[in-house]
Amino acid sequence: MIEIKNIFKNFGKLKVLSGVSTEIKKGEVVAIIGASGSGKSTLLRCMNLLEAPTFGEVWMEGRLLTPVDPYLHEEVIEASNTYKKLIGEGLERDAAIAKIREEDLLNEKFSIAEGKEYKGKIKKIYKENSIDINLARRKMGMVFQQFNLFNNMTVKDNITLAPIKTGMYKGMGKEARAAAEAKAMELLERIGLADKADVYPSTLSGGQKQRIAIVRALAMNPDVILFDEPTSALDPEMIGEVLDLMKQLAGEGMTMVIVTHEMGFAREVADRVLFVDEGIIAEEGAPAEVFGNPKHPRLKEFLSKVL
Amino acid sequence: MWKIFSQYWKILIFEGVKNTIYLSLIALFFGTIIGAFLAFGRMSKFKPLSWAVGAVVEVVRGTPMLLQLYIGVFGIPMVVPKEVRPDFLNDYFVMVAIVLVINSAAYVSEIIRSGIQAVDKGQTEAARSLGLSGFTTMTQIVLPQAVKNILPALGNEFITVIKETSLASTFAVGELMTKYDEIKSVNYNAFPAYIVIGIIYFVLTYSLSKIMAFVERKMKHD
Repeated sequence: MIEIKNIFKNFGKLKVLSGVSTEIKKGEVVAIIGASGSGKSTLLRCMNLLEAPTFGEVWMEGRLLTPVDPYLHEEVIEASNTYKKLIGEGLERDAAIAKIREEDLLNEKFSIAEGKEYKGKIKKIYKENSIDINLARRKMGMVFQQFNLFNNMTVKDNITLAPIKTGMYKGMGKEARAAAEAKAMELLERIGLADKADVYPSTLSGGQKQRIAIVRALAMNPDVILFDEPTSALDPEMIGEVLDLMKQLAGEGMTMVIVTHEMGFAREVADRVLFVDEGIIAEEGAPAEVFGNPKHPRLKEFLSKVL
Repeated sequence: MWKIFSQYWKILIFEGVKNTIYLSLIALFFGTIIGAFLAFGRMSKFKPLSWAVGAVVEVVRGTPMLLQLYIGVFGIPMVVPKEVRPDFLNDYFVMVAIVLVINSAAYVSEIIRSGIQAVDKGQTEAARSLGLSGFTTMTQIVLPQAVKNILPALGNEFITVIKETSLASTFAVGELMTKYDEIKSVNYNAFPAYIVIGIIYFVLTYSLSKIMAFVERKMKHD
Protein backbone atom coordinates (compact mmCIF):
# COMPACT_ATOMS: atom_id res chain seq x y z
CA MET A 1 0.00 0.00 0.00
CA ILE A 2 2.53 2.57 1.20
CA GLU A 3 6.22 1.96 0.99
CA ILE A 4 8.74 4.40 2.36
CA LYS A 5 12.37 3.96 1.48
CA ASN A 6 15.19 5.41 3.51
CA ILE A 7 13.45 8.65 4.44
CA PHE A 8 15.49 11.52 5.85
CA LYS A 9 13.94 14.79 6.95
CA ASN A 10 15.89 17.82 8.09
CA PHE A 11 14.41 21.09 9.25
CA GLY A 12 17.39 23.34 8.67
CA LYS A 13 20.11 21.82 10.81
CA LEU A 14 17.71 19.78 12.91
CA LYS A 15 17.65 16.13 11.82
CA VAL A 16 14.18 14.78 12.50
CA LEU A 17 14.24 11.57 10.50
CA SER A 18 17.46 9.73 9.77
CA GLY A 19 16.75 6.86 7.43
CA VAL A 20 13.35 5.26 7.94
CA SER A 21 12.08 2.43 5.78
CA THR A 22 8.89 0.46 6.19
CA GLU A 23 5.95 -0.87 4.27
CA ILE A 24 2.30 -0.55 5.19
CA LYS A 25 0.37 -3.51 3.80
CA LYS A 26 -3.24 -3.53 2.68
CA GLY A 27 -5.62 -3.99 5.61
CA GLU A 28 -2.87 -3.50 8.13
CA VAL A 29 -3.26 -1.29 11.21
CA VAL A 30 0.09 0.17 12.17
CA ALA A 31 0.61 2.17 15.36
CA ILE A 32 3.55 4.54 15.59
CA ILE A 33 4.64 5.29 19.15
CA GLY A 34 7.50 7.26 20.64
CA ALA A 35 8.31 10.22 22.83
CA SER A 36 7.47 13.79 21.82
CA GLY A 37 9.99 15.08 19.32
CA SER A 38 11.05 11.60 18.27
CA GLY A 39 9.89 12.24 14.70
CA LYS A 40 6.79 10.04 14.65
CA SER A 41 4.42 12.74 13.44
CA THR A 42 6.94 13.87 10.83
CA LEU A 43 7.19 10.27 9.62
CA LEU A 44 3.42 10.14 9.18
CA ARG A 45 3.33 13.51 7.43
CA CYS A 46 6.03 12.35 5.03
CA MET A 47 3.72 9.54 3.88
CA ASN A 48 1.33 11.96 2.16
CA LEU A 49 4.01 14.56 1.58
CA LEU A 50 2.60 17.23 3.86
CA GLU A 51 6.28 17.24 4.72
CA ALA A 52 8.52 16.65 1.73
CA PRO A 53 11.29 14.24 2.74
CA THR A 54 14.80 15.65 2.36
CA PHE A 55 16.03 12.31 0.97
CA GLY A 56 14.38 9.01 0.24
CA GLU A 57 11.29 7.93 -1.61
CA VAL A 58 7.63 7.36 -0.82
CA TRP A 59 5.66 4.91 -2.95
CA MET A 60 1.97 4.24 -2.94
CA GLU A 61 0.64 1.19 -4.72
CA GLY A 62 3.62 1.10 -7.02
CA ARG A 63 3.55 4.82 -7.82
CA LEU A 64 6.28 7.22 -6.81
CA LEU A 65 5.16 10.29 -4.86
CA THR A 66 8.53 11.95 -4.21
CA PRO A 67 11.32 12.90 -6.58
CA VAL A 68 13.72 10.08 -7.47
CA ASP A 69 16.41 9.46 -4.85
CA PRO A 70 19.43 8.40 -6.93
CA TYR A 71 21.02 6.50 -4.04
CA LEU A 72 18.13 4.05 -4.00
CA HIS A 73 18.64 2.97 -7.63
CA GLU A 74 21.80 1.04 -8.50
CA GLU A 75 21.30 1.64 -12.22
CA VAL A 76 21.29 5.38 -11.55
CA ILE A 77 24.47 5.19 -9.50
CA GLU A 78 26.10 3.13 -12.24
CA ALA A 79 25.29 5.82 -14.76
CA SER A 80 26.98 8.58 -12.75
CA ASN A 81 30.37 10.06 -13.53
CA THR A 82 31.40 9.56 -9.91
CA TYR A 83 30.84 5.81 -10.27
CA LYS A 84 32.73 5.70 -13.54
CA LYS A 85 35.62 7.52 -11.92
CA LEU A 86 35.74 5.05 -9.03
CA ILE A 87 35.66 2.11 -11.44
CA GLY A 88 38.49 3.81 -13.32
CA GLU A 89 40.43 3.91 -10.08
CA GLY A 90 40.09 0.12 -9.93
CA LEU A 91 37.18 -0.41 -7.52
CA GLU A 92 34.81 -3.36 -7.91
CA ARG A 93 31.19 -2.61 -8.83
CA ASP A 94 29.70 -3.43 -5.42
CA ALA A 95 32.47 -1.67 -3.54
CA ALA A 96 32.04 1.45 -5.67
CA ILE A 97 28.27 1.53 -5.10
CA ALA A 98 28.73 0.98 -1.36
CA LYS A 99 31.34 3.74 -1.18
CA ILE A 100 29.10 6.19 -3.05
CA ARG A 101 26.16 5.41 -0.78
CA GLU A 102 28.14 5.62 2.42
CA GLU A 103 29.92 8.84 1.61
CA ASP A 104 27.12 10.62 -0.30
CA LEU A 105 29.39 11.10 -3.30
CA LEU A 106 26.77 11.92 -5.94
CA ASN A 107 26.65 15.58 -6.87
CA GLU A 108 22.90 16.12 -6.58
CA LYS A 109 22.92 19.89 -6.54
CA PHE A 110 24.66 20.13 -9.89
CA SER A 111 23.41 16.87 -11.31
CA ILE A 112 24.74 17.86 -14.75
CA ALA A 113 28.17 17.10 -13.30
CA GLU A 114 27.16 13.44 -13.14
CA GLY A 115 26.57 13.34 -16.88
CA LYS A 116 23.69 13.06 -19.30
CA GLU A 117 23.22 9.34 -18.82
CA TYR A 118 22.68 9.83 -15.09
CA LYS A 119 20.13 12.59 -15.59
CA GLY A 120 18.40 10.54 -18.25
CA LYS A 121 18.04 7.53 -15.95
CA ILE A 122 16.52 9.67 -13.21
CA LYS A 123 14.10 11.24 -15.66
CA LYS A 124 13.11 7.85 -17.00
CA ILE A 125 12.37 6.39 -13.56
CA TYR A 126 10.40 9.48 -12.63
CA LYS A 127 8.42 9.47 -15.85
CA GLU A 128 7.53 5.81 -15.61
CA ASN A 129 6.52 5.76 -11.95
CA SER A 130 5.52 9.15 -10.62
CA ILE A 131 1.95 10.13 -9.91
CA ASP A 132 0.45 13.56 -9.27
CA ILE A 133 0.49 14.05 -5.51
CA ASN A 134 -3.09 15.37 -5.49
CA LEU A 135 -4.31 12.14 -7.10
CA ALA A 136 -2.41 10.06 -4.56
CA ARG A 137 -3.73 12.07 -1.62
CA ARG A 138 -7.31 11.42 -2.69
CA LYS A 139 -6.74 7.79 -1.80
CA MET A 140 -4.88 8.63 1.40
CA GLY A 141 -7.08 10.22 4.06
CA MET A 142 -5.63 12.10 6.99
CA VAL A 143 -6.99 12.91 10.43
CA PHE A 144 -5.29 15.63 12.46
CA GLN A 145 -4.76 16.24 16.15
CA GLN A 146 -6.49 19.62 15.85
CA PHE A 147 -9.36 18.22 13.70
CA ASN A 148 -8.94 20.98 11.10
CA LEU A 149 -12.55 21.03 10.01
CA PHE A 150 -13.09 23.89 7.57
CA ASN A 151 -14.38 26.73 9.77
CA ASN A 152 -16.13 28.52 6.93
CA MET A 153 -18.35 25.59 5.98
CA THR A 154 -21.16 23.61 7.49
CA VAL A 155 -20.52 20.02 8.56
CA LYS A 156 -22.14 18.71 5.39
CA ASP A 157 -20.08 21.01 3.15
CA ASN A 158 -16.95 19.94 5.01
CA ILE A 159 -17.65 16.36 3.98
CA THR A 160 -18.83 17.00 0.42
CA LEU A 161 -16.26 19.62 -0.65
CA ALA A 162 -13.48 17.26 -1.70
CA PRO A 163 -15.69 14.61 -3.37
CA ILE A 164 -17.41 17.32 -5.42
CA LYS A 165 -14.30 19.34 -6.28
CA THR A 166 -12.26 16.31 -7.28
CA GLY A 167 -15.03 15.03 -9.52
CA MET A 168 -15.44 11.79 -7.62
CA TYR A 169 -19.08 11.48 -8.63
CA LYS A 170 -20.08 11.32 -12.27
CA GLY A 171 -22.76 13.46 -13.80
CA MET A 172 -23.68 17.10 -14.02
CA GLY A 173 -22.99 19.50 -11.15
CA LYS A 174 -26.33 18.92 -9.46
CA GLU A 175 -26.26 15.14 -9.73
CA ALA A 176 -22.74 14.94 -8.37
CA ARG A 177 -23.68 17.22 -5.49
CA ALA A 178 -26.74 15.12 -4.69
CA ALA A 179 -24.67 11.93 -4.71
CA ALA A 180 -22.01 13.48 -2.50
CA GLU A 181 -24.62 14.79 -0.08
CA ALA A 182 -26.36 11.43 0.11
CA LYS A 183 -23.05 9.81 0.95
CA ALA A 184 -22.30 12.51 3.54
CA MET A 185 -25.66 12.00 5.23
CA GLU A 186 -25.14 8.26 5.26
CA LEU A 187 -21.77 8.75 6.98
CA LEU A 188 -23.24 11.21 9.47
CA GLU A 189 -26.05 8.76 10.28
CA ARG A 190 -23.43 6.17 10.97
CA ILE A 191 -21.76 8.29 13.65
CA GLY A 192 -25.10 9.55 14.95
CA LEU A 193 -24.54 13.17 13.99
CA ALA A 194 -26.99 13.56 11.12
CA ASP A 195 -28.71 16.37 13.03
CA LYS A 196 -25.48 18.38 12.88
CA ALA A 197 -25.31 18.42 9.07
CA ASP A 198 -26.12 22.12 8.73
CA VAL A 199 -24.24 23.57 11.69
CA TYR A 200 -20.78 25.13 11.65
CA PRO A 201 -17.87 23.32 13.32
CA SER A 202 -17.44 25.93 16.06
CA THR A 203 -20.65 24.72 17.71
CA LEU A 204 -19.41 21.11 18.08
CA SER A 205 -17.51 19.35 20.85
CA GLY A 206 -14.00 18.05 20.22
CA GLY A 207 -15.17 14.45 20.00
CA GLN A 208 -17.85 15.37 17.47
CA LYS A 209 -15.35 17.38 15.42
CA GLN A 210 -12.90 14.52 15.29
CA ARG A 211 -15.51 11.95 14.31
CA ILE A 212 -16.67 14.29 11.54
CA ALA A 213 -13.05 14.74 10.45
CA ILE A 214 -12.81 10.97 10.19
CA VAL A 215 -15.93 10.66 8.04
CA ARG A 216 -14.71 13.58 5.93
CA ALA A 217 -11.71 11.41 5.13
CA LEU A 218 -13.97 8.39 4.58
CA ALA A 219 -16.12 10.31 2.09
CA MET A 220 -13.25 10.08 -0.41
CA ASN A 221 -13.28 6.26 -0.19
CA PRO A 222 -9.59 6.20 0.73
CA ASP A 223 -7.42 3.10 0.58
CA VAL A 224 -5.61 4.14 3.73
CA ILE A 225 -6.14 6.70 6.50
CA LEU A 226 -3.31 8.39 8.38
CA PHE A 227 -4.10 9.46 11.95
CA ASP A 228 -1.89 12.09 13.56
CA GLU A 229 -2.49 11.84 17.32
CA PRO A 230 -6.27 11.86 16.80
CA THR A 231 -7.17 11.91 20.51
CA SER A 232 -4.40 14.11 21.95
CA ALA A 233 -6.43 17.32 21.84
CA LEU A 234 -9.59 15.78 23.26
CA ASP A 235 -11.07 16.01 26.73
CA PRO A 236 -10.75 12.61 28.43
CA GLU A 237 -14.47 11.85 28.29
CA MET A 238 -14.46 12.20 24.49
CA ILE A 239 -11.52 9.98 23.71
CA GLY A 240 -13.64 6.85 23.88
CA GLU A 241 -16.09 7.83 21.13
CA VAL A 242 -13.25 8.56 18.70
CA LEU A 243 -11.33 5.39 19.50
CA ASP A 244 -14.55 3.36 19.13
CA LEU A 245 -15.06 4.70 15.62
CA MET A 246 -11.44 3.92 14.75
CA LYS A 247 -11.86 0.39 16.10
CA GLN A 248 -14.90 -0.06 13.87
CA LEU A 249 -12.89 1.02 10.84
CA ALA A 250 -10.07 -1.34 11.76
CA GLY A 251 -12.64 -4.12 12.11
CA GLU A 252 -13.89 -3.39 8.60
CA GLY A 253 -10.43 -3.91 7.20
CA MET A 254 -9.43 -0.27 6.62
CA THR A 255 -5.71 0.23 6.29
CA MET A 256 -4.65 2.62 9.03
CA VAL A 257 -1.46 4.26 10.22
CA ILE A 258 -1.91 5.79 13.65
CA VAL A 259 0.48 8.01 15.56
CA THR A 260 -0.79 7.72 19.10
CA HIS A 261 -0.11 8.05 22.80
CA GLU A 262 -2.96 5.65 23.60
CA MET A 263 -0.91 2.56 24.38
CA GLY A 264 -3.94 0.50 25.37
CA PHE A 265 -5.56 1.25 22.02
CA ALA A 266 -2.38 0.48 20.08
CA ARG A 267 -2.03 -2.81 21.90
CA GLU A 268 -5.63 -3.79 21.23
CA VAL A 269 -6.11 -2.64 17.64
CA ALA A 270 -2.72 -2.53 15.91
CA ASP A 271 -1.29 -5.39 13.88
CA ARG A 272 2.15 -3.89 14.13
CA VAL A 273 3.77 -1.28 16.33
CA LEU A 274 6.67 0.95 15.30
CA PHE A 275 8.70 2.56 18.06
CA VAL A 276 10.36 5.69 16.71
CA ASP A 277 13.31 7.15 18.58
CA GLU A 278 15.76 9.83 17.45
CA GLY A 279 14.50 9.71 13.90
CA ILE A 280 14.72 5.99 13.27
CA ILE A 281 12.49 2.98 13.85
CA ALA A 282 14.26 1.66 16.93
CA GLU A 283 12.02 -1.37 17.34
CA GLU A 284 9.02 -2.84 15.60
CA GLY A 285 6.83 -5.88 15.88
CA ALA A 286 3.48 -7.27 16.96
CA PRO A 287 1.98 -5.36 19.89
CA ALA A 288 2.30 -8.32 22.25
CA GLU A 289 6.00 -8.45 21.44
CA VAL A 290 6.68 -4.69 21.62
CA PHE A 291 4.69 -4.09 24.79
CA GLY A 292 5.22 -7.45 26.47
CA ASN A 293 8.84 -8.06 25.68
CA PRO A 294 10.58 -4.82 24.69
CA LYS A 295 14.24 -5.20 23.75
CA HIS A 296 15.54 -1.74 22.92
CA PRO A 297 16.60 0.08 26.12
CA ARG A 298 14.93 3.30 24.97
CA LEU A 299 11.68 1.46 24.37
CA LYS A 300 11.87 -0.09 27.85
CA GLU A 301 12.44 3.35 29.32
CA PHE A 302 9.61 4.87 27.25
CA LEU A 303 7.12 2.15 28.22
CA SER A 304 8.02 2.39 31.90
CA LYS A 305 7.11 6.08 31.72
CA VAL A 306 3.84 5.84 29.82
CA LEU A 307 2.31 2.57 31.04
CA MET B 1 -20.15 78.44 11.86
CA TRP B 2 -23.62 77.88 10.51
CA LYS B 3 -23.15 81.03 8.47
CA ILE B 4 -20.09 79.50 6.86
CA PHE B 5 -21.83 76.27 6.11
CA SER B 6 -24.97 77.92 4.71
CA GLN B 7 -22.88 80.27 2.65
CA TYR B 8 -20.47 77.76 1.19
CA TRP B 9 -22.26 74.42 1.42
CA LYS B 10 -22.54 74.07 -2.31
CA ILE B 11 -18.82 74.41 -2.76
CA LEU B 12 -18.08 72.22 0.25
CA ILE B 13 -20.41 69.38 -0.65
CA PHE B 14 -20.48 69.44 -4.43
CA GLU B 15 -16.80 70.16 -4.95
CA GLY B 16 -14.91 69.43 -1.75
CA VAL B 17 -16.69 66.29 -0.62
CA LYS B 18 -17.09 65.11 -4.17
CA ASN B 19 -13.38 65.36 -4.87
CA THR B 20 -12.45 63.83 -1.51
CA ILE B 21 -14.73 60.86 -2.13
CA TYR B 22 -13.55 60.66 -5.70
CA LEU B 23 -9.88 60.49 -4.65
CA SER B 24 -10.64 58.06 -1.83
CA LEU B 25 -12.59 55.71 -4.07
CA ILE B 26 -9.85 55.70 -6.69
CA ALA B 27 -7.22 55.04 -4.02
CA LEU B 28 -9.24 52.30 -2.36
CA PHE B 29 -10.47 50.56 -5.47
CA PHE B 30 -7.18 50.38 -7.35
CA GLY B 31 -5.20 50.17 -4.10
CA THR B 32 -7.09 47.04 -3.09
CA ILE B 33 -6.68 45.38 -6.47
CA ILE B 34 -2.99 46.20 -6.75
CA GLY B 35 -2.55 45.45 -3.05
CA ALA B 36 -3.95 41.95 -3.57
CA PHE B 37 -1.42 41.32 -6.34
CA LEU B 38 1.38 42.69 -4.16
CA ALA B 39 0.28 40.43 -1.29
CA PHE B 40 0.48 37.31 -3.46
CA GLY B 41 3.75 38.56 -4.93
CA ARG B 42 5.22 38.92 -1.48
CA MET B 43 4.04 35.43 -0.48
CA SER B 44 5.42 33.94 -3.69
CA LYS B 45 7.87 31.07 -3.42
CA PHE B 46 9.87 32.76 -6.18
CA LYS B 47 12.30 34.63 -3.92
CA PRO B 48 13.36 37.52 -6.22
CA LEU B 49 9.70 38.51 -6.72
CA SER B 50 8.91 38.23 -3.03
CA TRP B 51 11.99 40.25 -2.15
CA ALA B 52 11.31 42.99 -4.72
CA VAL B 53 7.68 43.40 -3.68
CA GLY B 54 8.73 43.43 -0.03
CA ALA B 55 11.26 46.19 -0.69
CA VAL B 56 8.72 48.40 -2.50
CA VAL B 57 6.08 47.89 0.18
CA GLU B 58 8.48 48.66 3.01
CA VAL B 59 9.79 51.82 1.34
CA VAL B 60 6.26 53.10 0.69
CA ARG B 61 5.18 52.34 4.25
CA GLY B 62 8.35 53.74 5.73
CA THR B 63 8.30 57.18 4.13
CA PRO B 64 5.84 60.03 4.78
CA MET B 65 2.85 60.33 2.51
CA LEU B 66 3.50 64.05 2.01
CA LEU B 67 6.99 63.29 0.72
CA GLN B 68 5.57 60.72 -1.68
CA LEU B 69 3.08 63.31 -2.91
CA TYR B 70 5.89 65.82 -3.51
CA ILE B 71 7.87 63.21 -5.42
CA GLY B 72 4.83 62.24 -7.49
CA VAL B 73 3.51 65.72 -8.21
CA PHE B 74 6.76 67.72 -8.56
CA GLY B 75 9.64 65.24 -8.65
CA ILE B 76 8.68 62.80 -11.34
CA PRO B 77 7.54 65.41 -13.90
CA MET B 78 10.83 67.18 -13.25
CA VAL B 79 13.00 64.22 -14.24
CA VAL B 80 10.98 63.41 -17.38
CA PRO B 81 12.12 65.69 -20.24
CA LYS B 82 9.42 68.05 -21.56
CA GLU B 83 9.47 66.61 -25.08
CA VAL B 84 8.49 63.10 -23.97
CA ARG B 85 6.39 64.04 -20.94
CA PRO B 86 2.82 62.73 -21.25
CA ASP B 87 0.06 65.18 -20.29
CA PHE B 88 -1.09 63.37 -17.20
CA LEU B 89 2.27 63.95 -15.52
CA ASN B 90 1.41 67.65 -15.45
CA ASP B 91 -2.04 67.04 -14.01
CA TYR B 92 -1.84 67.44 -10.23
CA PHE B 93 -5.08 65.58 -9.65
CA VAL B 94 -3.95 62.53 -11.63
CA MET B 95 -0.54 62.44 -9.97
CA VAL B 96 -2.05 62.81 -6.50
CA ALA B 97 -4.44 59.97 -7.30
CA ILE B 98 -1.59 57.75 -8.50
CA VAL B 99 0.42 58.38 -5.34
CA LEU B 100 -2.62 57.65 -3.19
CA VAL B 101 -3.20 54.41 -5.07
CA ILE B 102 0.40 53.26 -4.63
CA ASN B 103 0.41 54.23 -0.98
CA SER B 104 -2.81 52.47 -0.13
CA ALA B 105 -1.81 49.43 -2.24
CA ALA B 106 1.25 49.02 -0.01
CA TYR B 107 -0.81 49.12 3.18
CA VAL B 108 -3.59 46.97 1.78
CA SER B 109 -1.08 44.36 0.59
CA GLU B 110 0.19 43.93 4.14
CA ILE B 111 -3.37 43.73 5.45
CA ILE B 112 -4.24 41.02 2.93
CA ARG B 113 -1.00 39.14 3.48
CA SER B 114 -1.34 39.05 7.24
CA GLY B 115 -5.02 38.15 6.89
CA ILE B 116 -4.16 35.15 4.72
CA GLN B 117 -1.26 34.09 6.89
CA ALA B 118 -3.42 34.33 10.01
CA VAL B 119 -5.61 31.51 8.69
CA ASP B 120 -4.62 28.38 10.59
CA LYS B 121 -2.14 26.28 8.61
CA GLY B 122 -4.13 23.20 9.56
CA GLN B 123 -6.94 24.38 7.29
CA THR B 124 -4.63 24.27 4.28
CA GLU B 125 -3.14 20.96 5.34
CA ALA B 126 -6.57 19.38 5.73
CA ALA B 127 -7.62 20.57 2.28
CA ARG B 128 -4.40 19.41 0.62
CA SER B 129 -4.56 16.05 2.40
CA LEU B 130 -7.93 15.48 0.72
CA GLY B 131 -6.28 15.92 -2.66
CA LEU B 132 -7.55 19.43 -3.37
CA SER B 133 -5.27 21.61 -5.47
CA GLY B 134 -3.50 24.65 -4.06
CA PHE B 135 -5.83 26.91 -6.05
CA THR B 136 -9.03 25.27 -4.81
CA THR B 137 -7.69 25.35 -1.27
CA MET B 138 -6.99 29.06 -1.60
CA THR B 139 -10.36 30.00 -3.10
CA GLN B 140 -12.60 27.66 -1.11
CA ILE B 141 -10.93 27.54 2.30
CA VAL B 142 -8.25 30.16 2.90
CA LEU B 143 -9.64 33.30 1.24
CA PRO B 144 -13.17 33.02 2.68
CA GLN B 145 -11.63 32.80 6.14
CA ALA B 146 -9.01 35.46 5.45
CA VAL B 147 -11.70 37.95 4.44
CA LYS B 148 -12.92 37.95 8.02
CA ASN B 149 -9.45 38.85 9.26
CA ILE B 150 -8.98 41.39 6.50
CA LEU B 151 -12.24 43.36 6.61
CA PRO B 152 -11.82 45.21 9.93
CA ALA B 153 -8.28 46.28 9.06
CA LEU B 154 -9.35 47.18 5.55
CA GLY B 155 -12.10 49.37 7.02
CA ASN B 156 -9.51 51.19 9.08
CA GLU B 157 -7.39 51.65 5.99
CA PHE B 158 -10.39 53.09 4.13
CA ILE B 159 -10.87 55.62 6.89
CA THR B 160 -7.18 56.47 6.92
CA VAL B 161 -7.25 57.05 3.17
CA ILE B 162 -10.19 59.44 3.43
CA LYS B 163 -8.29 61.47 6.00
CA GLU B 164 -5.03 61.30 4.10
CA THR B 165 -6.61 62.82 1.01
CA SER B 166 -6.45 66.08 3.02
CA LEU B 167 -2.70 66.09 2.35
CA ALA B 168 -3.56 66.55 -1.30
CA SER B 169 -4.69 70.09 -0.43
CA THR B 170 -0.99 70.96 -0.51
CA PHE B 171 -1.40 70.84 -4.28
CA ALA B 172 -4.84 72.49 -4.32
CA VAL B 173 -6.54 69.67 -6.20
CA GLY B 174 -9.98 70.72 -5.03
CA GLU B 175 -10.80 68.23 -2.28
CA LEU B 176 -12.34 69.15 1.04
CA MET B 177 -9.23 70.55 2.70
CA THR B 178 -8.48 72.73 -0.32
CA LYS B 179 -11.95 74.18 0.04
CA TYR B 180 -11.13 75.01 3.61
CA ASP B 181 -8.18 77.07 2.44
CA GLU B 182 -10.33 78.82 -0.11
CA ILE B 183 -13.07 79.66 2.41
CA LYS B 184 -10.60 80.87 4.99
CA SER B 185 -8.91 83.11 2.50
CA VAL B 186 -12.10 84.95 1.60
CA ASN B 187 -13.60 85.51 5.05
CA TYR B 188 -10.42 85.53 7.20
CA ASN B 189 -12.19 83.51 9.86
CA ALA B 190 -10.34 80.25 10.30
CA PHE B 191 -11.91 78.69 13.33
CA PRO B 192 -15.53 78.11 12.19
CA ALA B 193 -14.17 76.73 8.94
CA TYR B 194 -12.05 74.23 10.90
CA ILE B 195 -15.13 72.98 12.69
CA VAL B 196 -17.26 72.69 9.57
CA ILE B 197 -14.57 70.77 7.68
CA GLY B 198 -13.91 68.57 10.71
CA ILE B 199 -17.59 67.67 11.01
CA ILE B 200 -17.77 66.77 7.33
CA TYR B 201 -14.73 64.49 7.59
CA PHE B 202 -16.17 62.91 10.70
CA VAL B 203 -19.53 62.24 9.07
CA LEU B 204 -17.75 60.59 6.13
CA THR B 205 -15.52 58.33 8.21
CA TYR B 206 -18.09 57.53 10.88
CA SER B 207 -20.70 56.42 8.36
CA LEU B 208 -18.04 54.33 6.63
CA SER B 209 -17.06 52.61 9.87
CA LYS B 210 -20.75 51.89 10.57
CA ILE B 211 -21.10 50.33 7.12
CA MET B 212 -18.00 48.19 7.72
CA ALA B 213 -19.32 47.05 11.11
CA PHE B 214 -22.57 46.05 9.44
CA VAL B 215 -20.75 44.03 6.75
CA GLU B 216 -18.62 42.32 9.40
CA ARG B 217 -21.70 41.33 11.38
CA LYS B 218 -23.28 39.93 8.22
CA MET B 219 -20.27 37.69 7.59
CA LYS B 220 -20.03 36.32 11.10
CA HIS B 221 -21.54 32.88 11.34
CA ASP B 222 -19.02 30.87 13.26
